[in-house]
Amino acid sequence: MAPSNEAKSKLYSQTLLAGLWRENPVFRLLLGMCPTLAVTAAVKPAFTMGCCVIFVLLCSNIIVSLMRNLLKPHLRILMFTLTIATFVTIADLFLKAFLPQMSETLGPYVPLIIVNCIIICRAEACASKNPVFVSIIDAIGMGVGFTLTLCVLAAVRELLATGKIFEIHLMPEAFVPWAAMSMPVGAFITLGLLLGLVNLVTGKRA
Amino acid sequence: MKSLKYFIAQSWLLIVASFFFGLLIAVANAGLSPRIIQNKINKRNQLVTGLLPDAKNFVPVDSEIVIQSIDGKESRVEVFQALAESGERVGWSFNAAGPGFADKIELVVAVDANFEKIAGFDVLSSNETPGFGDQIKYDYFRSQFEGAPADALKLVSVGEPTDIDAQIVAISGATVSSEAVVEIVSNAITQIKEQIQEKGIMTDGSE
Amino acid sequence: MDTLSVLLMGFISVVLVNNLVLTKFLGICPYLGVSGRIDMAFGMGLAVTFVVTLSGTLTWMIDHWILMALGLEVTRYVCFILVIAGAVQLVEMYVRRFFPSLYDSFGIFLPLITTNCAILGLCLFLNLWGIDSLLDAVVRSFGAGIGFTMAICIMAGIRENLDMADVPECLRGAPITLITAGLLSMAFMGFSGMIR
Repeated sequence: MAPSNEAKSKLYSQTLLAGLWRENPVFRLLLGMCPTLAVTAAVKPAFTMGCCVIFVLLCSNIIVSLMRNLLKPHLRILMFTLTIATFVTIADLFLKAFLPQMSETLGPYVPLIIVNCIIICRAEACASKNPVFVSIIDAIGMGVGFTLTLCVLAAVRELLATGKIFEIHLMPEAFVPWAAMSMPVGAFITLGLLLGLVNLVTGKRA
Repeated sequence: MKSLKYFIAQSWLLIVASFFFGLLIAVANAGLSPRIIQNKINKRNQLVTGLLPDAKNFVPVDSEIVIQSIDGKESRVEVFQALAESGERVGWSFNAAGPGFADKIELVVAVDANFEKIAGFDVLSSNETPGFGDQIKYDYFRSQFEGAPADALKLVSVGEPTDIDAQIVAISGATVSSEAVVEIVSNAITQIKEQIQEKGIMTDGSE
Repeated sequence: MDTLSVLLMGFISVVLVNNLVLTKFLGICPYLGVSGRIDMAFGMGLAVTFVVTLSGTLTWMIDHWILMALGLEVTRYVCFILVIAGAVQLVEMYVRRFFPSLYDSFGIFLPLITTNCAILGLCLFLNLWGIDSLLDAVVRSFGAGIGFTMAICIMAGIRENLDMADVPECLRGAPITLITAGLLSMAFMGFSGMIR
């Protein structure tokens, strides 16, 4: 019994929204913390990293979903890792070729997308069990959720650290920039407080 | 044979996928690597053109120049002759690196044609404290080096920054970073000048 | 004694000045997950130290003696992660065979070390820092593991005390750990400038 079109579109929209809020990779699933802390000193690198993750997630989910019936159980993690590593290498090459400054700012955190728990978890939990279209939607949902989270965090940090986002001054003249925000201290504390805020909001709802 | 058959049955996907992915990476690399190399060259040229405005071409020096950085590490340095449109040498440029306050500081340094005066430097990468050591990137610190004598740089804590002389006024609150830059520049210039003169590359060099 | 001082400086730099967790944001996931109790934290730290020393050395050797010699740098990431996965697999088999009780207490953590950013991160940093001697690479890898162990044990000690404090509901768990990590990283900032 194939699911009706209505049920299908409900499934798709739910999957898409899950990645954005209910199962937000950073705030709810607590995955992918390392790049979240490392690249969110400013909004531009955060956005670039988010886009790279979307690209890798999409490609890896598609390939894994296409292969899902051929995977041998004890070799599947190896297959996932190989797929992800390949696409991260390609993304890194593209970054070095077309956005060299971003590539330098992001530095070693681009190859660290390989061990970003989000991508392997989605491959394991979703792509290896669902048809291609659902996997694509899941990838987009998770990826966009991750990118938005990174940008929010980066916006807070950049605003407080330099008083401006994307070179636009948003803070009043008298504001003395909090240099600590662009250092590891600021990263940890901002993420911790934001996480607490999300817990507060979702706790109240439940 | 049976175990080989079993092995293949289990891992044929892995082997095929590895081959396919390898091909993908190779194609991407072949397509993009000329651009990547060009980006690196552009970046270096762009920074040096800011320091030596007349420079139009950059020709690498053929012979091998090896210098020892402040922390004792020996490394090969690529020294470039900066040539104007007419082919006349307007200066030299090279990368210099050394330990700063927090991490390694990498600079690109430009000197005039005779290695006598510094044309200036730019920071390629550094991890100094924002608001303090980070100010080595700012104009008011960097401009002190422009026109300063190449062989007599000295760091002082008070002085007149706008005076172009051998004294470099340190950034207040960032003495270590300022000192590091002065040392990196002096150290590199001294050694490179010596080796360039030894190898006779400076045809109109001052002996 | 020059080599020895270079090695010592390298070791201290990785343990204190460039601590992988608190300055380079590597290994946060296990850091948040396992730092609840000191004995688990210490066990995790030891396991990570062992794996990272092994992987750091192996990947350095492959990088310098094979990849760079053959001009295959573009396959670096793929090779590194495969070596790390293999090393973790080996360690797991070894521990299961010879120390079964230890294996039981580790549970899921051992295979999880593969996705620990600290391992791949350190291998990449060894490349970034331009380490050109095998001994230096070994010392730094070992130092990275020791730094991780130190950071996670300090955090475990603090969290055990935090359990008895009155933490607001919404901050319990990951948020308060992150804030504590922020304060710890601020303390560790005092080490920068120690090595010239």
